[in-house]
Amino acid sequence: MKQDFVQIAELRRTFDVSKPWLNRVLEGGEKQFLKAVDGVSFSVPRGKTFALVGESGSGKSTVARMVVGLLRPTGGAVEIDGVKLGPQARGGAVKALRRRMQMVFQDPYASLNPRWRVGRIIAEPIRAFGLATSKREMDMRVDELLALVGLHAADARKFPHEFSGGQRQRVAIARALASKPELIVCDEPTSALDVSVQAQILNLMRDLQEQFGLTYLIISHNLAVVRHMADQTGVMYLGRLVEIGEGRDMFRNPRHPYTRMLLQAVPDIAAIGATRTAVQGEIPNPITPPPGCTFHPRCPLANDRCRREAPAMRAGVACHAVEEGRGEAA
Amino acid sequence: MTDIPTNEPVLSVRDLHVDFSTRRGALKAIDGISFDIAPGEVLGVVGESGAGKSVTGSAVVGLIEPPGHISGGEIRLAGRRIDNLGAEEMRRVRGKEIGMIFQDPLTSLNPLYRIGDQLTETIRTHLPLSARAARARAIDLLADVGIPAPEQRIDSYPHEFSGGMRQRVVIALALAAEPKLVVADEPTTALDVSVQAQIIALIKKLCAERGTAVMLVTHDMGVIAETADQVAVMYAGRIVEKGPVADIIGRPMHPYARGLMSAIPSLVSDADRLVQIPGSMPRLASLPDGCAFHPRCDRCFDICTTLRPEPEPRGARRVACHLYTHEEMAS
Repeated sequence: MKQDFVQIAELRRTFDVSKPWLNRVLEGGEKQFLKAVDGVSFSVPRGKTFALVGESGSGKSTVARMVVGLLRPTGGAVEIDGVKLGPQARGGAVKALRRRMQMVFQDPYASLNPRWRVGRIIAEPIRAFGLATSKREMDMRVDELLALVGLHAADARKFPHEFSGGQRQRVAIARALASKPELIVCDEPTSALDVSVQAQILNLMRDLQEQFGLTYLIISHNLAVVRHMADQTGVMYLGRLVEIGEGRDMFRNPRHPYTRMLLQAVPDIAAIGATRTAVQGEIPNPITPPPGCTFHPRCPLANDRCRREAPAMRAGVACHAVEEGRGEAA
Repeated sequence: MTDIPTNEPVLSVRDLHVDFSTRRGALKAIDGISFDIAPGEVLGVVGESGAGKSVTGSAVVGLIEPPGHISGGEIRLAGRRIDNLGAEEMRRVRGKEIGMIFQDPLTSLNPLYRIGDQLTETIRTHLPLSARAARARAIDLLADVGIPAPEQRIDSYPHEFSGGMRQRVVIALALAAEPKLVVADEPTTALDVSVQAQIIALIKKLCAERGTAVMLVTHDMGVIAETADQVAVMYAGRIVEKGPVADIIGRPMHPYARGLMSAIPSLVSDADRLVQIPGSMPRLASLPDGCAFHPRCDRCFDICTTLRPEPEPRGARRVACHLYTHEEMAS
């Protein structure tokens, strides 16, 4: 079997959220750890889009940061095109991989240097990876990138503040494309944008994917955006993947009770004056997650086993109720 | 919809103008908008950033930050004019007659006071109650907004609540003095989706029970679809279309409203590409002549570039677009 382009296996990350040492000595209390990501595995074939959805605190952004190497995993491995990036990964192969993956961040106001002209911002990856031999070649490449994302060559001389939010996100995408990457990780790429502009950016991302065969990992809390973009979707809850589904299937037939709940909760324009069962409860404190399946306090199908034992991912869903066939009836 | 013609509207805004004075002249943030909200009715105000929807909300509660100011028109609350009240008088109207819910519940609550103290303070400022009665009322309010064990939680500080619970406390505060109108500015934007639905349902239920009118300002069309009775779509400081929610969302008429509705990725549609509106909202300093939307409009014709369309009634709604007046003239 051919290996997928991105392979994530049992990825873990814990954060030390203990009080300072002196407070622990004086006031007592143990060291405390937050399991932000707790054993996440998935893979993305080349040229496809994988999306991670979840509410705040579910660990989806932490996964994204580990994939591009902005955070070191506590355990598990990220493997991209056969090269392992793990807790021990170092050396030339990893360095060579850096060029082949890029990231687009949520806030285009914060992710562009306000003191640099747009041309310099976009040229930075070209310079950093030594992808151009002359100044002329670099300028040509910048013009080409600006045209790709629907901006003018003359825009290279402007500063980020002269652009609107959507145009800035285009600049961020142009910068991400500058090093000719194969994988682009997008963390909430359109959350800071207005809907009419969001549509422009999502369409642009699709066009670029077709043109360059890009692989996308998209992180979003917006289920409609994910449904529109993704070939495969993973739903995260409290640091774990609870369901992985193909394309729009998962949105048509959600299996995990949490996925179902999320899909029911989203206000949709197709649901004028809808009345529905409101979702129960909120995400628990991740420092002291509930035992067993972390979703059990909010789950309508929970039983004793769910309270004791954490479910494993089987056939795309991690749920005792689905496994035992209790889920389908509801 | 509670549309009783004899009923006087709770809120009536007529030809409201809000200007921001700058060194280069006045920027028209709100350029002549009019709308009414009937008792128990929810008016959704939608638009993209810079459309003027939040400024409209601030104008109604008298909280426009300088250099912004109301430069024309009038705002009436239950028949009484409130846009020309002094600061002290307006302060009494706010809280008593108009409740407010803002986007970020953490900034609307004082982190140094227990939520019970904040609730009883608001209640006693506006209602003649003893400390004990005010506390009992505060506990009732917390129970109404769905906070479990309100007798204990009343003595907690805001940081001890989660985001959704905090927004519930803010709703309790907004309703504390039984206001006639609640202005909610992006009340669910800072919350997670699973909690959003709870908060929307809560606002809707409480206001329906009390007959409170609601002005709901949001950019989230899904929230509007589920909550509002009437919708006003704003663009560059003007209302371009206003009418019953099913009409506006199901069959929008103004080209901007149409573009907006089809630009939203849906959980049910199977379109591969989203409809996109080219360009972005113009800056207030350089508004185009004629219809402010014409440079982005795919149905634009001669007259749109020179003459600004005024809202004209079209059935149950009002639309500000030459497309429809033009059609009439042609036929």
